[in-house]
Amino acid sequence: MTRTLRQMLTCHWSARRIQRYLDADPSAPLTPGEISRLEEHLATCEKCTEIATEHRALHRALSLWSGGTAVDPRSVDRVRDFLSTINDEDSA
Amino acid sequence: MEPEIEVLLRVALTITSNQADAEDLVQETLLRAYRAIDRFDGRYPRAWLLTILRNTNANMHRRQRPGTIGDWELIRTARPAFGKAELPSAEDNFLDGELHSDLDAAVRALDPRFRAALVLVDVHDLSYAEAAAVMGVPVGTVMSRLSRASDRVRKSLRFSPLTRGDLS
Repeated sequence: MTRTLRQMLTCHWSARRIQRYLDADPSAPLTPGEISRLEEHLATCEKCTEIATEHRALHRALSLWSGGTAVDPRSVDRVRDFLSTINDEDSA
Repeated sequence: MEPEIEVLLRVALTITSNQADAEDLVQETLLRAYRAIDRFDGRYPRAWLLTILRNTNANMHRRQRPGTIGDWELIRTARPAFGKAELPSAEDNFLDGELHSDLDAAVRALDPRFRAALVLVDVHDLSYAEAAAVMGVPVGTVMSRLSRASDRVRKSLRFSPLTRGDLS
Protein backbone atom coordinates (compact mmCIF):
# COMPACT_ATOMS: atom_id res chain seq x y z
CA MET A 1 0.00 0.00 0.00
CA THR A 2 2.76 2.44 1.01
CA ARG A 3 4.72 1.47 -2.06
CA THR A 4 1.75 2.04 -4.36
CA LEU A 5 1.07 5.42 -2.82
CA ARG A 6 4.72 6.41 -3.18
CA GLN A 7 4.66 5.31 -6.83
CA MET A 8 1.53 7.38 -7.47
CA LEU A 9 3.10 10.44 -5.91
CA THR A 10 6.27 9.99 -7.95
CA CYS A 11 4.24 9.60 -11.15
CA HIS A 12 2.37 12.80 -10.31
CA TRP A 13 5.64 14.59 -9.55
CA SER A 14 7.14 13.34 -12.81
CA ALA A 15 4.12 14.22 -14.94
CA ARG A 16 4.47 17.84 -13.85
CA ARG A 17 8.08 17.96 -15.05
CA ILE A 18 8.19 15.86 -18.22
CA GLN A 19 7.39 18.76 -20.54
CA ARG A 20 10.10 20.97 -19.01
CA TYR A 21 12.53 18.07 -19.11
CA LEU A 22 11.93 17.49 -22.82
CA ASP A 23 11.84 21.19 -23.76
CA ALA A 24 15.00 21.97 -21.76
CA ASP A 25 14.05 25.64 -21.99
CA PRO A 26 16.61 27.98 -20.39
CA SER A 27 13.77 29.97 -18.76
CA ALA A 28 12.61 27.00 -16.73
CA PRO A 29 15.43 24.52 -16.21
CA LEU A 30 15.04 21.52 -13.94
CA THR A 31 17.69 21.20 -11.25
CA PRO A 32 20.27 18.41 -11.67
CA GLY A 33 18.56 16.65 -8.75
CA GLU A 34 15.18 16.85 -10.47
CA ILE A 35 16.66 15.54 -13.71
CA SER A 36 18.25 12.58 -11.95
CA ARG A 37 15.08 11.75 -10.07
CA LEU A 38 12.96 12.02 -13.22
CA GLU A 39 15.32 9.90 -15.30
CA GLU A 40 15.44 7.25 -12.59
CA HIS A 41 11.66 7.17 -12.52
CA LEU A 42 11.34 7.03 -16.31
CA ALA A 43 13.73 4.08 -16.35
CA THR A 44 11.33 2.04 -14.25
CA CYS A 45 7.84 3.43 -14.86
CA GLU A 46 6.18 2.23 -18.04
CA LYS A 47 3.25 4.64 -17.75
CA CYS A 48 5.41 7.76 -17.42
CA THR A 49 7.74 6.55 -20.17
CA GLU A 50 4.71 6.27 -22.43
CA ILE A 51 3.66 9.82 -21.53
CA ALA A 52 7.17 11.07 -22.34
CA THR A 53 7.04 9.24 -25.68
CA GLU A 54 3.69 10.86 -26.46
CA HIS A 55 5.08 14.29 -25.61
CA ARG A 56 8.03 13.73 -27.95
CA ALA A 57 5.80 12.51 -30.78
CA LEU A 58 3.41 15.43 -30.34
CA HIS A 59 6.23 17.97 -30.36
CA ARG A 60 7.64 16.36 -33.50
CA ALA A 61 4.25 16.34 -35.23
CA LEU A 62 3.64 19.99 -34.34
CA SER A 63 7.07 21.02 -35.59
CA LEU A 64 6.27 19.31 -38.91
CA TRP A 65 2.76 20.67 -39.04
CA SER A 66 3.34 23.02 -41.88
CA GLY A 67 2.09 21.58 -45.13
CA GLY A 68 5.69 21.22 -46.21
CA THR A 69 5.86 24.82 -47.33
CA ALA A 70 8.73 27.14 -46.59
CA VAL A 71 8.87 30.75 -45.52
CA ASP A 72 8.10 32.83 -48.55
CA PRO A 73 11.56 34.04 -49.57
CA ARG A 74 10.07 37.09 -51.30
CA SER A 75 8.69 38.30 -47.98
CA VAL A 76 12.06 37.83 -46.34
CA ASP A 77 13.75 39.70 -49.20
CA ARG A 78 11.31 42.60 -49.03
CA VAL A 79 11.78 42.97 -45.28
CA ARG A 80 15.54 42.68 -45.68
CA ASP A 81 15.45 45.43 -48.33
CA PHE A 82 13.40 47.55 -45.97
CA LEU A 83 15.97 47.05 -43.23
CA SER A 84 18.76 48.04 -45.64
CA THR A 85 16.86 51.18 -46.54
CA ILE A 86 16.60 52.19 -42.88
CA ASN A 87 20.32 51.58 -42.43
CA ASP A 88 21.21 53.55 -45.56
CA GLU A 89 19.02 56.50 -44.59
CA ASP A 90 20.56 56.53 -41.15
CA SER A 91 24.09 56.46 -42.57
CA ALA A 92 23.41 59.22 -45.10
CA MET B 1 18.27 41.83 -36.67
CA GLU B 2 18.48 40.04 -40.02
CA PRO B 3 18.52 36.50 -38.64
CA GLU B 4 15.26 37.22 -36.84
CA ILE B 5 13.34 38.33 -39.93
CA GLU B 6 12.03 34.86 -40.69
CA VAL B 7 10.88 34.28 -37.11
CA LEU B 8 9.21 37.68 -36.98
CA LEU B 9 7.41 37.03 -40.25
CA ARG B 10 6.24 33.63 -39.07
CA VAL B 11 4.84 34.99 -35.81
CA ALA B 12 3.36 38.03 -37.54
CA LEU B 13 1.54 35.85 -40.03
CA THR B 14 0.14 33.78 -37.19
CA ILE B 15 -1.14 36.97 -35.59
CA THR B 16 -2.50 38.65 -38.71
CA SER B 17 -3.43 35.64 -40.89
CA ASN B 18 -2.48 37.73 -43.89
CA GLN B 19 0.81 37.89 -45.77
CA ALA B 20 0.66 41.61 -46.58
CA ASP B 21 -0.39 42.58 -43.05
CA ALA B 22 2.37 40.39 -41.63
CA GLU B 23 4.98 42.17 -43.74
CA ASP B 24 3.62 45.57 -42.72
CA LEU B 25 3.71 44.54 -39.07
CA VAL B 26 7.29 43.28 -39.30
CA GLN B 27 8.48 46.38 -41.14
CA GLU B 28 6.84 48.67 -38.56
CA THR B 29 8.34 46.51 -35.79
CA LEU B 30 11.84 46.78 -37.25
CA LEU B 31 11.47 50.53 -37.68
CA ARG B 32 10.47 50.94 -34.03
CA ALA B 33 13.25 48.61 -32.93
CA TYR B 34 15.77 50.60 -34.94
CA ARG B 35 14.64 53.84 -33.30
CA ALA B 36 14.84 52.24 -29.84
CA ILE B 37 18.13 50.43 -30.33
CA ASP B 38 19.97 52.78 -27.93
CA ARG B 39 17.71 51.66 -25.12
CA PHE B 40 18.23 47.95 -25.84
CA ASP B 41 20.58 46.24 -23.38
CA GLY B 42 21.72 43.64 -25.90
CA ARG B 43 20.23 40.68 -24.07
CA TYR B 44 17.62 38.38 -25.62
CA PRO B 45 17.23 40.23 -28.94
CA ARG B 46 14.53 37.93 -30.24
CA ALA B 47 12.37 38.38 -27.13
CA TRP B 48 12.94 42.13 -27.37
CA LEU B 49 11.84 42.20 -31.01
CA LEU B 50 8.82 40.00 -30.30
CA THR B 51 7.74 42.34 -27.50
CA ILE B 52 7.95 45.26 -29.92
CA LEU B 53 6.02 43.24 -32.50
CA ARG B 54 3.26 42.53 -30.02
CA ASN B 55 3.01 46.17 -28.93
CA THR B 56 3.17 47.37 -32.51
CA ASN B 57 0.33 45.07 -33.49
CA ALA B 58 -1.77 46.30 -30.56
CA ASN B 59 -1.10 49.93 -31.54
CA MET B 60 -1.92 49.30 -35.19
CA HIS B 61 -5.24 47.76 -34.18
CA ARG B 62 -5.99 50.67 -31.88
CA ARG B 63 -5.45 53.01 -34.80
CA GLN B 64 -7.74 51.01 -37.04
CA ARG B 65 -10.68 50.79 -34.69
CA PRO B 66 -11.68 52.13 -31.30
CA GLY B 67 -11.02 50.13 -28.16
CA THR B 68 -8.45 47.46 -27.56
CA ILE B 69 -8.62 43.87 -28.62
CA GLY B 70 -8.02 40.96 -26.32
CA ASP B 71 -4.62 39.31 -26.24
CA TRP B 72 -5.99 36.02 -27.43
CA GLU B 73 -7.81 37.45 -30.36
CA LEU B 74 -4.38 38.28 -31.70
CA ILE B 75 -3.52 34.65 -32.20
CA ARG B 76 -6.33 33.97 -34.59
CA THR B 77 -5.26 30.70 -36.07
CA ALA B 78 -3.65 27.58 -34.81
CA ARG B 79 -2.38 26.71 -38.23
CA PRO B 80 1.24 27.65 -38.71
CA ALA B 81 1.96 30.22 -41.34
CA PHE B 82 4.77 28.38 -42.98
CA GLY B 83 7.09 25.67 -41.96
CA LYS B 84 10.51 24.30 -42.38
CA ALA B 85 12.52 24.95 -45.50
CA GLU B 86 13.93 21.51 -46.20
CA LEU B 87 12.06 18.94 -48.25
CA PRO B 88 9.81 16.69 -46.16
CA SER B 89 10.61 13.00 -45.86
CA ALA B 90 8.08 10.28 -46.63
CA GLU B 91 7.44 9.99 -42.90
CA ASP B 92 6.91 13.73 -42.68
CA ASN B 93 4.44 13.54 -45.53
CA PHE B 94 2.53 10.82 -43.73
CA LEU B 95 2.45 12.81 -40.51
CA ASP B 96 1.42 15.94 -42.32
CA GLY B 97 -1.13 14.35 -44.60
CA GLU B 98 -2.75 11.47 -42.76
CA LEU B 99 -2.63 12.93 -39.28
CA HIS B 100 -3.03 16.54 -40.13
CA SER B 101 -6.78 16.63 -39.77
CA ASP B 102 -6.73 14.97 -36.33
CA LEU B 103 -4.03 17.29 -35.11
CA ASP B 104 -5.73 20.30 -36.65
CA ALA B 105 -9.02 19.43 -34.94
CA ALA B 106 -7.34 18.79 -31.60
CA VAL B 107 -5.44 22.08 -31.65
CA ARG B 108 -8.42 24.10 -32.86
CA ALA B 109 -10.53 22.66 -30.04
CA LEU B 110 -8.21 24.25 -27.48
CA ASP B 111 -9.01 27.43 -25.63
CA PRO B 112 -7.29 30.22 -27.64
CA ARG B 113 -4.98 31.04 -24.72
CA PHE B 114 -3.72 27.47 -24.57
CA ARG B 115 -3.56 27.22 -28.36
CA ALA B 116 -1.39 30.33 -28.56
CA ALA B 117 1.17 28.86 -26.16
CA LEU B 118 1.28 25.56 -28.05
CA VAL B 119 1.62 27.14 -31.48
CA LEU B 120 4.29 29.63 -30.46
CA VAL B 121 6.46 27.10 -28.60
CA ASP B 122 5.92 23.83 -30.45
CA VAL B 123 5.16 25.01 -33.97
CA HIS B 124 7.21 28.19 -34.18
CA ASP B 125 9.88 26.87 -31.83
CA LEU B 126 10.01 29.96 -29.64
CA SER B 127 11.47 29.70 -26.15
CA TYR B 128 9.14 30.12 -23.17
CA ALA B 129 10.50 33.66 -22.68
CA GLU B 130 9.94 34.55 -26.34
CA ALA B 131 6.40 33.17 -26.28
CA ALA B 132 5.80 35.16 -23.09
CA ALA B 133 6.95 38.29 -24.93
CA VAL B 134 4.48 37.68 -27.75
CA MET B 135 1.62 36.84 -25.41
CA GLY B 136 2.40 39.57 -22.89
CA VAL B 137 2.25 37.20 -19.92
CA PRO B 138 4.82 35.84 -17.42
CA VAL B 139 6.92 32.80 -18.36
CA GLY B 140 5.15 30.76 -15.68
CA THR B 141 1.82 31.42 -17.39
CA VAL B 142 3.23 30.22 -20.71
CA MET B 143 4.45 27.03 -19.02
CA SER B 144 1.12 26.41 -17.38
CA ARG B 145 -0.87 26.99 -20.57
CA LEU B 146 1.56 24.96 -22.63
CA SER B 147 1.27 22.07 -20.22
CA ARG B 148 -2.52 22.10 -20.33
CA ALA B 149 -2.58 22.46 -24.12
CA SER B 150 -0.12 19.66 -24.61
CA ASP B 151 -1.98 17.33 -22.24
CA ARG B 152 -5.31 17.97 -23.94
CA VAL B 153 -4.00 17.47 -27.47
CA ARG B 154 -2.01 14.42 -26.42
CA LYS B 155 -5.04 12.83 -24.80
CA SER B 156 -7.29 13.58 -27.76
CA LEU B 157 -4.78 11.92 -30.09
CA ARG B 158 -4.06 9.02 -27.75
CA PHE B 159 -5.25 6.37 -30.15
CA SER B 160 -3.49 7.71 -33.18
CA PRO B 161 -0.04 6.49 -34.30
CA LEU B 162 1.06 10.09 -33.84
CA THR B 163 1.33 9.74 -30.08
CA ARG B 164 1.82 6.00 -29.80
CA GLY B 165 5.38 6.63 -30.80
CA ASP B 166 5.17 4.38 -33.85
CA LEU B 167 6.75 7.05 -35.97
CA SER B 168 9.30 8.45 -33.58
